[in-house]
Amino acid sequence: MKKFWLIFANEYKRHVLKKSFIFGLLSMPLFLVLIIGVSMLSVWLQFNDAPMGYVDNNHLLTDAVQVPEKKSKLFAVAQAVPFEDEASAKTALENGSIQTYFILADDYLSTGKVTMVKNSKTGTNASSDFGDFLVYNLVSDLPDQTALRLSEGNNLIVRSLEGTRETGADNWMAIILPVLAGVLFMIAVNISGNYLLQAVVEEKENRTMEILVTSVSPTQLMAGKVVGNMLVGLTQLVVWVVFAVIAIKVAPSFIPDLQIPPIETSYLLLMVATLVPSFVMVAAAMGAIGATATESREAQQIAGWFTIPIMVPLWFISAIMLKPNGALSVGMSLFPLTAPIALPLRAVFTDIPAWQIIMTLGLLSVLAVFSVWLSGRVFRLGMLRYGKRVRLSEAFRRAK
Amino acid sequence: MNTISVDSITKKFGEIHAVDKVSFEVSPGEIFGLLGPNGAGKTTSIRIILDIFKPDSGTVSVLGGPMTEEKKNKIGYLPEERGLYQEIPLERCLVYLATLKGLEETDARQRVGEYLERFELDQWRKKKVKELSKGMQQKAQLITTLVHRPEIVIIDEPFSALDPVNTQMVKDLLCEERDRGTTIIMCTHQMHQVEELADRIALINKGQTVLYGSLDEIRRRYVADAVIVRALQDLPASLPGVREIIKQNNHAMLKFEPGKTAQDVLQMLVQKNISIEQFEIALPTLDEIFIQVVQGKGDGR
Repeated sequence: MKKFWLIFANEYKRHVLKKSFIFGLLSMPLFLVLIIGVSMLSVWLQFNDAPMGYVDNNHLLTDAVQVPEKKSKLFAVAQAVPFEDEASAKTALENGSIQTYFILADDYLSTGKVTMVKNSKTGTNASSDFGDFLVYNLVSDLPDQTALRLSEGNNLIVRSLEGTRETGADNWMAIILPVLAGVLFMIAVNISGNYLLQAVVEEKENRTMEILVTSVSPTQLMAGKVVGNMLVGLTQLVVWVVFAVIAIKVAPSFIPDLQIPPIETSYLLLMVATLVPSFVMVAAAMGAIGATATESREAQQIAGWFTIPIMVPLWFISAIMLKPNGALSVGMSLFPLTAPIALPLRAVFTDIPAWQIIMTLGLLSVLAVFSVWLSGRVFRLGMLRYGKRVRLSEAFRRAK
Repeated sequence: MNTISVDSITKKFGEIHAVDKVSFEVSPGEIFGLLGPNGAGKTTSIRIILDIFKPDSGTVSVLGGPMTEEKKNKIGYLPEERGLYQEIPLERCLVYLATLKGLEETDARQRVGEYLERFELDQWRKKKVKELSKGMQQKAQLITTLVHRPEIVIIDEPFSALDPVNTQMVKDLLCEERDRGTTIIMCTHQMHQVEELADRIALINKGQTVLYGSLDEIRRRYVADAVIVRALQDLPASLPGVREIIKQNNHAMLKFEPGKTAQDVLQMLVQKNISIEQFEIALPTLDEIFIQVVQGKGDGR
């Protein structure tokens, strides 16, 4: 057992202490921060909080007040300034004291027609800020609740026919999460699987294998490798999830407009229950591929074909959203290689029958155990074969 | 009790008999030569002893019984296909492989340090293995084989890729190990190296044992009816009782006629007043025996 830990620690450390691994680990969150930063910078560059003018010949906005500043707003609201006529507003725009001006049509109440006059310095926020100002003042005479409802709009709840599931129309997190988890899963499983695959092929290529198998049993060797390399992928996954959680906690204080909807615990549990056995299954299968292949390039090619099915549900995401109980969706959530992404994705849009969940999780667990067993078998047969691949039929035939 | 007993092991790969009823025993503290041409089945036999391959039939006993995980720690193995982790520093690689042989990390570090110094590799300890020359990597592999002070050392082609200086160093090291009581199996086709070191040998050809025994006994078994003579003057073109005279550099090999002995030839030379500087029985080299046996001219014992 001690040798298992030695193999495990060696496999883990040799990847985790590599500069390329640390770079890869930090590059994803840094890349996201960079993208968000660049997007915010671009919004900020197009934002202008200088006053806006307006000409109201109908006197609809007499005694108008400014929209109160919300704490949740990242950028300040541009103030609206009244002008007697268009000429004075135009002069103010030309001398730069306002960024734009609006003219309410004479028949505004019946047509809603407003003319905006702008120049190159006008911010992208001007029209929405003026719209808010207009609505806020037009409904100011109504009772507070009515005025609020009119300005904020509806809060739509979508409920399933059986009445057991419901979600807010603005709960984008529920849709994003399985897709995001699927992509992260793919990345993590590829990292683990590829490390495992490389570790096995590399030792065959550099001929260290023969020394290793005369020091430690093939089972301990393979188990140490599978667990060590899986943990490398999981480390990456955990670090990214920690970054994501920190971002979710911290982001609202920087981006007050960002509302992050809550996620149901049962949903998270379903995701974890699906992803863990899938992870073991795919990583161990990659190890088996490594043991059958004779060189790393060949192993990479085989592994590439093997991981493609995991991505398939993302190609059919619209079909799953539209018909979550259709044959395609159900089939993909039951098939072990597509289940890791398809099952959580379906769960967002429908109530999945319990038997389907149990069957999928059962299949995944059985296949995970089978994959580990098979990779051990193939490894034992293929560890000293140079230039000749181990056929799977051979692994089964010699399974004694 | 023999350190290793191989009893009639057989191994087939597909239709090919890699090893066919091979048997031999290795005694404690001896250097045993496992010889044979390329593809004879030497490496397969070694892998069966080491429990890398399971034999189709036959048994192997190592240190008094079947191979176990504990016994693996008592064996040092240098495979023919040399290999080390190329991308990590030399010292880390050697310490890791030593810990897999049951050494605690601190002991492993200390012993690896001693060997690196002895093999003049200490200034390379922090370098990646791939930066080392082939000869240096060969020496590093020897460290891996010996660092845990094994009871049995099995070396497949020990002198490949070594220059004469390092070849001598390895020979000295093997003799030192033998003096320490280590049992050594040397697997090679380089006969002259075995002649210097091995106490006993087994010669395998086409998967079968064709020669087995002590080196002296085997050489005497293959002794030719001839003597080597160095005389102060030129030897006559023909001599009574001698069927052939083969002149070689500064000596000659005299092959007897049937029924004649070395004693008869010596008497005849003295009678003819030929001054002799050297007179010895012409023992065949292992190379010659090897070729004879492999080409089917041996006695198959």
